[in-house]
Amino acid sequence: MTSGTLLRAERLTKVFGSGHTAVRAVDGVDVAVAAGELVLIIGPSGSGKTTLLSMLGGLLRPTEGRITIGGVEITAVPRRELTRIRRESIGFVFQTFNLLESLDALENVEIALNVAGVKGGEAERRARALLVDAGLEARLRFRATKLSGGERQRVAIARALANEPHLLLADEPTANLDSRHGLEVMRVLRDLATRRDKAAVVVSHDPRLEEIADRVLQLEDGHIAPEHALPSIRKRGEGRPAG
Amino acid sequence: MVPLATRNLLAEKGRFAMSIAGVAFAVLLVLVVVSLYRGWSDVGRFYERLPGDLWLSQPATSDPYHSSSFIPIAEGKLAAQVEGVGSVIPIYTRHIAFDRGGTTLDVFTMGIDAKSGPYALQAGQIDIDRVLARDAGVGVGDRLDLLGRSFRVVRVHSGGNSIFQTAFLSAADARELIGLSGRVSFFLVGLKPRADAAVVSQRLRDALPGLEVHTSREFADRFASRVNAGFLAVVGVLVGIGFVVGGAVIALTTYTATVERSREFGVLKAIGASGRFLYGIVLRQSLVVGAAGAALGVAASAAVANLVKRDVPEFITVLTLRDAVAVFVLALVTAVVASYVPVRRIERIDPAEVFRP
Repeated sequence: MTSGTLLRAERLTKVFGSGHTAVRAVDGVDVAVAAGELVLIIGPSGSGKTTLLSMLGGLLRPTEGRITIGGVEITAVPRRELTRIRRESIGFVFQTFNLLESLDALENVEIALNVAGVKGGEAERRARALLVDAGLEARLRFRATKLSGGERQRVAIARALANEPHLLLADEPTANLDSRHGLEVMRVLRDLATRRDKAAVVVSHDPRLEEIADRVLQLEDGHIAPEHALPSIRKRGEGRPAG
Repeated sequence: MVPLATRNLLAEKGRFAMSIAGVAFAVLLVLVVVSLYRGWSDVGRFYERLPGDLWLSQPATSDPYHSSSFIPIAEGKLAAQVEGVGSVIPIYTRHIAFDRGGTTLDVFTMGIDAKSGPYALQAGQIDIDRVLARDAGVGVGDRLDLLGRSFRVVRVHSGGNSIFQTAFLSAADARELIGLSGRVSFFLVGLKPRADAAVVSQRLRDALPGLEVHTSREFADRFASRVNAGFLAVVGVLVGIGFVVGGAVIALTTYTATVERSREFGVLKAIGASGRFLYGIVLRQSLVVGAAGAALGVAASAAVANLVKRDVPEFITVLTLRDAVAVFVLALVTAVVASYVPVRRIERIDPAEVFRP
């Protein structure tokens, strides 16, 4: 492990059910992600990617193993503390965007700040800045349902960043986007890891994401296959801006 | 703070409107029942409007409407001599049933032997309430027959209800209808200025040990307690039903809004929303529906009470500000209680579900 490791999962196991119907969705997985690093987890459907991501995000308690984020063992903290860690340290990006439909783009980001206790003008100012940064200045007051897929995902990313988390977890972030919007989102994720020094874990089927990942982990039947580095990644990583 | 609660409610405007209407209807039901109850309870207050302060009656008298009383007329002279007594007015009362166009009507007649004022009627004159006038189909100037005597309606006063109609006669006519000479039903005693009612009451009891002394308020209160005994349980049941219906509407609306947005609540949970934050959203939804419905219900109740007063005088409605405020506050309390059901639903939402497409 490097000194800059932000996320570390050790011997992570999740078993659903019991007895002869028990299913080991994730089985003894070790993952370590450093700040500024974007790790891509690929694997076929049912390989345990989403279960793994849910555990890394503190949404699902592992059956065995431990997870630390920023030195805090989240598998050992009570539920209320875990909620606080999710609020302050983790940003989530979902395949289906999961924006709140009754709210507009600005409010969707603002509510994440409200959740963290930031309210009123301060919340609006910060939400606006994030959306402007995401190129959505002209869409601030558009209801979520009136935005295109790419715009929705950018709002979702802005929401994920609202409370300045150290760790970004993305589940199939490009799955519901056409190639142009998918590319946009890929660039944003890469940029976040590089420029904002976030640790990012992305679960995806999308082979294009391999181009922006620092490392690719293959998950099969709940196990991480031997890590393989792609030539293109090494090449891109070498040219990556410092910091 | 992002107004997610109201946005969620307004996202389904039709359902939101129906929910408000449902709560408003429940509040209307409660307030109409309560105002009818208040109206009935206040019927006996008319004793307090009569020209006197204390009543003399035979023992074991509840109030003039519910009890008969016959007192020797000579007792009035003794009462007049008591210190602090300014006037002693003989009162004659009787319930009379009479036929009008094939329908039997009942009226509580009262003859007040006043020398002046609205109750000082001439022989052959009758002053009836609005409900009796309508039921008997008569107005001022018409004639009304009671016990074979014909009376001319000289005034129609407000009041009356479906079970209690009043008519004022001259004392001479009332005495004749009672058919007992040398006796009156009650004496209505007026106090001299600055005389203490309690002190004079005691003096009257001392001077007339065979009679009871009552205040007009005591009669009114006893009348109200009779109404309470008969109606309070029914009123309680109806008010209870109203609150249950209102609470159910709020709970169902908020629950539906929560279930429909389970995924969104899951998202909020996933991004770190505390239970307090989430329950706050549900609570606000409940309170918005409760407050809007209750406000509409109170307004509708006021309108209905006015319409009833104008068009259906036999139903006496007294809508007080205190009752309206109490029902409004109780509606809000009901809304808080009703939010328990959706809150339990939120507790069961698994935030990990948000990763499922």
